Amino acid sequence: MTKRTVEIGAFGAMIIAFAVGLAVPPDAVQGDLQRIMYVHVPSAWLAYLAFGITMIGSVVYLATGNLRWDRLAGASAEVGVVFTGLALATGLIWGKPVWGVWWTWDARLVLTAAMFFVYLAYLALRRGVDGADRRAKRSAVFGIVAALQIPVVHFSVVWWRGLHQPPTVLRPDNPQIDPPLLFALLMAVFAFTLAYAALVRRRMALATAEDSLTDAPRPDEQVAGAAVSAPQIGGGRR
Amino acid sequence: MIHHVLVLIRSQLRNEARAGEVATIIIPFGAVALLVIPLAIGIDTDLLARIGPGLFWVVVLLFGVIVTHRQSASVDRPQRDMLTLLGVDPAARFAATTIASTLLLLVFELAVGAITIVLYDPDLTGWGWLAVILPLVAAGLAMIGTLAASLTSGLGGRSALAPLLVAPIAIPILLGAAQATEGLRVGAGILRWVLVLAVVDVLLMLAGVLTARPLEES
Amino acid sequence: MSDWGWVAFAYTIVYGVLIGYVASLVVRTRRVRSEAARR
Repeated sequence: MTKRTVEIGAFGAMIIAFAVGLAVPPDAVQGDLQRIMYVHVPSAWLAYLAFGITMIGSVVYLATGNLRWDRLAGASAEVGVVFTGLALATGLIWGKPVWGVWWTWDARLVLTAAMFFVYLAYLALRRGVDGADRRAKRSAVFGIVAALQIPVVHFSVVWWRGLHQPPTVLRPDNPQIDPPLLFALLMAVFAFTLAYAALVRRRMALATAEDSLTDAPRPDEQVAGAAVSAPQIGGGRR
Repeated sequence: MIHHVLVLIRSQLRNEARAGEVATIIIPFGAVALLVIPLAIGIDTDLLARIGPGLFWVVVLLFGVIVTHRQSASVDRPQRDMLTLLGVDPAARFAATTIASTLLLLVFELAVGAITIVLYDPDLTGWGWLAVILPLVAAGLAMIGTLAASLTSGLGGRSALAPLLVAPIAIPILLGAAQATEGLRVGAGILRWVLVLAVVDVLLMLAGVLTARPLEES
Repeated sequence: MSDWGWVAFAYTIVYGVLIGYVASLVVRTRRVRSEAARR
């Protein structure tokens, strides 16, 4: 599937999802605030998907040494941090009118925030290292350490919150969701996923272009070793 | 290989003994942190007694990074290359640095712990368990810190990058330690939190061994 | 703020950030391409 097809498809799907999200009737319990879920849930889903792809890219890069996998990992992390930030922001905006406060120490919120900081750390590391190979190896190592630790972070946070019963809150993913609202939600998830794919491909292309630029010798630069010439035999010039 | 590890540990500890960074700089910094907190949040002694243990663990987590990132632990490229030429396995180097850092972190924990007890007067029921919790926490932080130090070596003075790498990954260590001490205070079971700390340590050991070679090449 | 106000706030941030990110990718790619062409 060409890059162009994915991008046009993503753009079209986002427009449709936007329109559907505004057109469907309000939720019986949450009213119009439910519409925030049509951007919050897809963002959160992509935050986790992008993280997973970064982890997979890191492992495969270390196994194969093919830089394309490292570029996938890096691209997915950058797009992922955008969606994680959006998931947090939309979560806060949904929470204020519903709970009355911007933040509660809900396990899911704390986990998403922790993941956001892991992303930021990973991207900061990538920015700090020069040279595609060095950057790829170090990022992949951090990616694997993070991948091994994230499940433990998940369980420890969930256990921690389990000790303090949270107040009865409206669950954002109410299983008894009406068909038209469910359609709006799924449409949004589909559209956002296409957008993620298109963005990652673009970001990977940018990374490839940047790498060939920085790692290629400049025209005014001599290749190292050019100063050494072949010895001349018999005094004549070759 | 065990011999290499032991020799390297001894040399690292000797370097630190000469430099004295942990004793003269990092522990005092941790102590100052514990001192200024009540200046900011008030001196309600009941509140301080309740939050004292939590603040102790936060200081250990955040300032412990400085211990693993200490000057005497930095190994530059020529030194690493020489060790490799001498036939020292990178995994052995990782093990030695980690064990040395664990011991120094234990010293840090004990010193800062004493100051916490003095300033915050926390409830000390079940303190015997600390003999298990303190080493598990020190080992975990030492491993993450050593990995972070390798990842950021030779990057030219990005001072907060290593702490940023450590902090989110170390959340389960903080939770395990804090919930365990809280559990001791109220008399609840703490086995699950000790288990969290142990699992973290095992996973980090695995990660450290698996990634020693790629790190060596970068 | 009314419910629709909160919805508008959320949607503005989401679509604003996404459009901004796409724009930044386009600008960065253009900059790298012109730098490569210059050499």
